[in-house]
Amino acid sequence: MRVPALIALVLGSFPSLGLAATDKPPLLTGESLPRLPQRLVEMALEALKAPDWLVSLASFATAAGTVVAVFLSAFALLSLIERKTLARAQNRLGPNRAGIFGILQPVADGIKMLTKEDIVPTKAEWFLHLVAPVMIVIPSILALGVIPYGREWLPVPLELGLVFFFATGTMTEVAVFIAGWASGSKFPMLGAMRAISQMISYELPLIISALSVVMLSGTLSLADIVAAQSGYHLGFIPAWNILTPWGFVAGIIFLIAANAESNRCPFDLPEGESEIVAGHMTEYSGFKYALFFMGEYLGLFAISGLGITLFLGGWQAPLPGLGFVPSWFWFFGKLAAIIFFFLWVRTTFPRVRVDQLMRFAWLCLIPIALLTLPVAALWHFTANPDGSNGVLSWLLCSAILAVPFIIITVIFNRRLAPSLRTYHYAE
Amino acid sequence: MVPLLLLSPLILLAALGAVWKARPVHAALLLALALALVAVLYLSVGAEFIGLVQFMVYVGGVAILIVFALLITRPGDEAAEVARRPRSLALGLVCVAPVLGILLYAVSKGLPVAAFEDANPKLPVQALGTELFENAVPAVLTVGVLLTAVLIGAALFAREPGPKSELPADR
Repeated sequence: MRVPALIALVLGSFPSLGLAATDKPPLLTGESLPRLPQRLVEMALEALKAPDWLVSLASFATAAGTVVAVFLSAFALLSLIERKTLARAQNRLGPNRAGIFGILQPVADGIKMLTKEDIVPTKAEWFLHLVAPVMIVIPSILALGVIPYGREWLPVPLELGLVFFFATGTMTEVAVFIAGWASGSKFPMLGAMRAISQMISYELPLIISALSVVMLSGTLSLADIVAAQSGYHLGFIPAWNILTPWGFVAGIIFLIAANAESNRCPFDLPEGESEIVAGHMTEYSGFKYALFFMGEYLGLFAISGLGITLFLGGWQAPLPGLGFVPSWFWFFGKLAAIIFFFLWVRTTFPRVRVDQLMRFAWLCLIPIALLTLPVAALWHFTANPDGSNGVLSWLLCSAILAVPFIIITVIFNRRLAPSLRTYHYAE
Repeated sequence: MVPLLLLSPLILLAALGAVWKARPVHAALLLALALALVAVLYLSVGAEFIGLVQFMVYVGGVAILIVFALLITRPGDEAAEVARRPRSLALGLVCVAPVLGILLYAVSKGLPVAAFEDANPKLPVQALGTELFENAVPAVLTVGVLLTAVLIGAALFAREPGPKSELPADR
């Protein structure tokens, strides 16, 4: 069998790949600007009379390349912005030597990481040690592929977008374990164990809070979930899920769990530098170390994008009459706001302890997340025929969520959380 | 057919490696690889839901649990494991042969393979959900109860006997 035919057969046998957006939007509008590279490649190949499988492969690769390029630039930018924001919060200047305002700092960091010596410890398993950083980056990039960034810009319109997103997330856990185990040293192993237990614990509230959205939208496709949040109540309040009682609670739980899933402060125990050096990344250097950071930041973008899609109306404009602004602008505006919120949290809260981390997930987040499911059902069944909800429905749903929340937090504070930190072994 | 031909040798190799490797963590990782490749096989025949769920449950759940269990229990002696190998191999073959025979018989007799070639296997997720949670609700609920019972039983068995841990309560 000839090779092109083989590629075409393999491609054709993955129906999800054939789903890559094939509609033809107008070429040069603000709305379809992110699709421009893909369309140009398609048109060039069609003009060259290229075979169909090559056109679809190249179109697919360009669509993927656009997303990766956008988010890698965002990663470079964020690494600078994060350091600048942290510096501002800590009354320092931050990086200011490379270029004006330190704008070239990401470039300098990249060159530094690339030229560093790549060390593989003697006790490490070199193959698994090499595989782990790659396996960290892949799921984050895969997850970025199914998020609708704009009206015209959805790289892979999967019917099961949400399931796909969470399925890729599970790969990260395996990768973190491999990284910790293959390093052949105790700090990475401890860090990996912490990371996996944290990820498993916080994946539950994350998925359960997303389920309430799935229940009321009646679909697992992320594009349809965004479409279900279109329109405005009373002419100006956007019909986003976060502006309902169940959506508000589920959204906050999602935000906290997303923060913990991406191992960011105050949930950065897996790599707590004052406790276990750098967790599962301890024995890595050079570009492999950079890959871990890349995976972490891309994962942060992906999970924030999912939160925006589920609760903040995706690419929908916050007010009516703003339709002239390209929809992807709103998506990235919301993304910037959420990322800034994460930075703010990072500068504000101290790191939690392992027992506090686990109690918070299992005794506080998961029960309340479970409660959002029946409340979402109640919200659905007490809705008026036109889909809006009356005052009674609002009060009832809010009360059902608020009362257990107050009870749980009171119990949490009184009985479970330690009132005073005691040191058992270092008195 | 092409993905099947490409993937099945890999799945077989990974599965054999999972049984053959003396170091338990390697075996667990190879098992995860085999399960992930099976998920890819599902995806390649258009069964997206089962493929993604296979990935989530088996790679994300089961494999991680196995790895956890390996790490918190005492590892066995690798040399002894290798020495036991001929006997384990014979025992394993004795156990596997009847199952394989039954499977091969069933496949050769029961399944009209050609009938699946032209049928459209793409099932909307909504139809799948309706089938599972409306028509097959008793079975789903039974499985749920069974799994809950297993979970409680496992917790009971795994509980440490004797007095509670020495660590003073944190208050």
